[in-house]
Amino acid sequence: MIRDQRREWVAAYLLILPFVLIYGVLFLWPTVQMVYLSFTDAPLIGPGKWIGIENYVEMFDDRRFWTSVRNTGYFVALTVIPNTLIGLAIAMMVSRLKGWQQSVILAMFFLPYILPVSVVYRIWNWMFDLQFGIMQHPIALILGKPTPVFRTQWLFMPSVAFVTIWWTCGFNILLFLSGLRSISTDIYEAAALDNASRWTIFRRITWPLIWPVTALVLTIQLILQLKIFDQVYLFVQGGRPDPSMVMVQYIYSQAFQKNEGGYAAAISVALFVIVIVVSLLQFQFLRARGEK
Amino acid sequence: MKNLFKIAMLSTVALLSVGGVQAKEDVVWWDFLSGGDGVRMKALIEQFNTEHADTIEIQPTTLEWGTPFYTKVQTSAAIGEGPDVMTYHLSRVPLGVQSGALAEISTTDLAGVGLGPDTFAPANWEAGQSDGKQYAVPFDIHSIILYYNKDKLAEAGLLGADGLPTGLDGADNFTAALEKLKGGSEYALSLQTSGDGTPWRVFYSLFGQQDGVFLGDDGTFFPDESIPKAVKAVETMAGWVSGGYAPALTEYEGSVALFTSGAAAFHINGVWEVPTMTDLAAKGELGFEWGAIAIPTFFDHPATWADSHGFAIPNNVGKEMTPEKKAAVLEVISWMNKNSLAWASAGHIPAYTPTRESEAFKTMQPNATYSILADTAVFDPKSTLAGVASPVYDAVANYISPAMNGELEPQAAIEEMKADLQDQAD
Amino acid sequence: MSIADSRNPALGAAGTTTTSRKLRAFDIGGLILTLITLVFAILWAFPIYWGVITSLKPESQVISKTVEFLPRTWTIEAYWEVFANTMIGRWYVNSLVTSLGVTAITLVTSALTAYALSQLRFPGRTVLWYLILASFMVPLTALIVNHFILMAQLSLINTWMGVILPQLIHPVVIIVYKNFFDSVPKEYREAAKMDSASEWRIFSRIYLPMNWGVTTALAIVTFIGAWNAFLWPFLAVSKPEMMNVAVGITQVNDAFGVHYARELAAAILAALLVAVLYLIFQRRVTQAIMLSAGVKG
Repeated sequence: MIRDQRREWVAAYLLILPFVLIYGVLFLWPTVQMVYLSFTDAPLIGPGKWIGIENYVEMFDDRRFWTSVRNTGYFVALTVIPNTLIGLAIAMMVSRLKGWQQSVILAMFFLPYILPVSVVYRIWNWMFDLQFGIMQHPIALILGKPTPVFRTQWLFMPSVAFVTIWWTCGFNILLFLSGLRSISTDIYEAAALDNASRWTIFRRITWPLIWPVTALVLTIQLILQLKIFDQVYLFVQGGRPDPSMVMVQYIYSQAFQKNEGGYAAAISVALFVIVIVVSLLQFQFLRARGEK
Repeated sequence: MKNLFKIAMLSTVALLSVGGVQAKEDVVWWDFLSGGDGVRMKALIEQFNTEHADTIEIQPTTLEWGTPFYTKVQTSAAIGEGPDVMTYHLSRVPLGVQSGALAEISTTDLAGVGLGPDTFAPANWEAGQSDGKQYAVPFDIHSIILYYNKDKLAEAGLLGADGLPTGLDGADNFTAALEKLKGGSEYALSLQTSGDGTPWRVFYSLFGQQDGVFLGDDGTFFPDESIPKAVKAVETMAGWVSGGYAPALTEYEGSVALFTSGAAAFHINGVWEVPTMTDLAAKGELGFEWGAIAIPTFFDHPATWADSHGFAIPNNVGKEMTPEKKAAVLEVISWMNKNSLAWASAGHIPAYTPTRESEAFKTMQPNATYSILADTAVFDPKSTLAGVASPVYDAVANYISPAMNGELEPQAAIEEMKADLQDQAD
Repeated sequence: MSIADSRNPALGAAGTTTTSRKLRAFDIGGLILTLITLVFAILWAFPIYWGVITSLKPESQVISKTVEFLPRTWTIEAYWEVFANTMIGRWYVNSLVTSLGVTAITLVTSALTAYALSQLRFPGRTVLWYLILASFMVPLTALIVNHFILMAQLSLINTWMGVILPQLIHPVVIIVYKNFFDSVPKEYREAAKMDSASEWRIFSRIYLPMNWGVTTALAIVTFIGAWNAFLWPFLAVSKPEMMNVAVGITQVNDAFGVHYARELAAAILAALLVAVLYLIFQRRVTQAIMLSAGVKG
């Protein structure tokens, strides 16, 4: 019996070995290194000397750091909830359809999600082009004149958020769609017999029943959008870098452009902590709501 | 002793290559030259490769100009993954040296291929130095010029008897000219009004025309009475946008397109766009006659921003360059300079003195029209915060461009810029 | 982690939500809703259509101030220019190799680990499981600096391996696999044990084949993710010939200045493979994402 158990242990360790190696070398080790690096004045590549919490002191006093924190928060606010609600709305619209109609419509909504971010960037840069962009027609109607949205400070983040929602919403749509499919049709039919209005049906039946999915989507979105880099990096090229700086971009700029490895690591630690704290808080909050 | 050995090695290599025994040497080359510049450089590289078919082959790549290029260079060099040779802005040499991205080029080696202080203008040669060591070899001097649409200027009566634009000197006169041109086209003047690049070059020219000091000897940005001068420069530029003469928030490419499509009468841009115009005109796609002159004198005296393209060797950490490779790289740098007349057709002023003083260059058009540039050039401040893709360039995108577009008050913009740069200097 | 455990989605089931069929026939409101859906879907997909159409126009028609929904002259010149002036073929190979690498290594290591976690008892099992769950919340993006340093120390910058390795942390894949392995009836394993089959045999002959569907689904999702990855491939590669297609089209200039049709043609080419695969295997991809994310909670 004991031999059997031994064999099971050996088998288990052999099976998990490749993963544990990868996990250790590419996740735990860099995480430890990141914390260590944040206490040094090292450049990106090469040794540095221990300077204690100096990087953190500097960080708290760094205007650009706080801008990047604020902008990251702003971007999260602009994307997470709208992206979730729009996803739900589209999923409900799509779920009414059947067969090939549903496939076609779903494909139209989902296609952006499978595009690389640089393609999304190219397409929307062209759509919004100041001279020849087709979006300038509606923009001129709304704002009175053609406007370069990625160069106008107050429009920058909302525009990037808009493009981000367009790009990533497909994922949310699918989650909601699978959630909606699992709601029994009997409930709806009963409601329909009661002559309940669409809004009542939504408020009384769909929304509460879909809430677990909503919570899930919110959680995924939040963790995802806190890590925003690609879109901001691409769209800000040729514009004002500082006022729209987000955290990962600041890490990138300190490490790879300013060659300040230690300081970049300190900002990374800050991001690390923020993401963990925020997701724990949200997790608690959503669970509380879910149990109500 | 070490140098002696080096020379011995080099001459052996040279001897070997004469004998044709040497294997073909690949030289990995990075540049940031696109547009008409890129076309000219591509042709030069092809010519080089043909002439050196048995000995050296340049393998060129063009990366995005500016920050993307210099970020790649810096991180690649730090891990020994950089190219063998690259184009580099001389304005950025101090920053490049400080961040450890550049390898020293021995002047003995350079002398071996016929390059040295006497084959370049002294200031130009020294711009490639840091602490007395050579890190880059000049290739050209380039600046900004005023492109104009002859047809539109003739209509507005702004052409003199000699067929050149007239009456543009003085900030008020220039504005008056813009006013005259306003009716005849979409914009009187097109220029890049977003990000860094053109806004810096124009600002620095207007600032230089008032003898403004960007960086004092004591490390102060905008010392003494330089702030009002800087504000005046920014106000002038902002006036073009707010007056409706120049487009707001326009990207580099868009500003070129506005001029080439005939939607703008004037265009301020680098000499490197000369081939774009030449090529379009040659193909008959321009639709109007174009010309170019030096930037007018808005204030006290002529002065125009200038920078230089040069060649540099990245400090590839942990990767020693073989003597053969080094000889090949030196040959590339030397050959390019000796054939820089073709590069002058991209609008630049050759750095290599024999080329610059050749009859062929002196009569080259339109370069001859703006040859005054060479005497009135103001180069970027020599600082580890200055140069292409530097904190100064970032500050231009963050403060001067927004001020040009009326998003910031000129006074506030300059003060914030000063504080920001001072902060980064300490 | 179990926000969504309470529901039991009929994954991939064809049953769509039908309100009352009887009512549908007279449902004007429903008709309007369908119409709105259609218009909205067209608007949603329009940018992609517009990008494709623009790339098929000659440059001179691209910069026309009037809106032309179809090219006056159809041309694939822009695409030839991209092929002639960029290394897009090379970038495609890089993208394929690294994405397949990420997918293969992630799936194999995750399946093995999930099997061990699901079926075997061993010291450290609980710790490992909680570590995996916890890493779900951790932003890998925060590790870019140290990933770069590590890859540089291993001399893996500008190599396929260097692009692949830091992309291998996908706790979700293990979580999904484990859930599916958990639900395989115990009898199979016990019967195999009687025949004294090794754990490897049980895994590779019973558990893996029974869950091919999951494997395909996870493979699709992981592959799409890796193909579209930007930040890490962007950092890990400085040599143009080693870039992925998504990075290459933004970092390398083709030395002929800016041309809208050509830029869009390069973008369309970068998106083409995955887009076509999606359109062919639409149902599978849809299921795959629902599956992987549905259990994620």
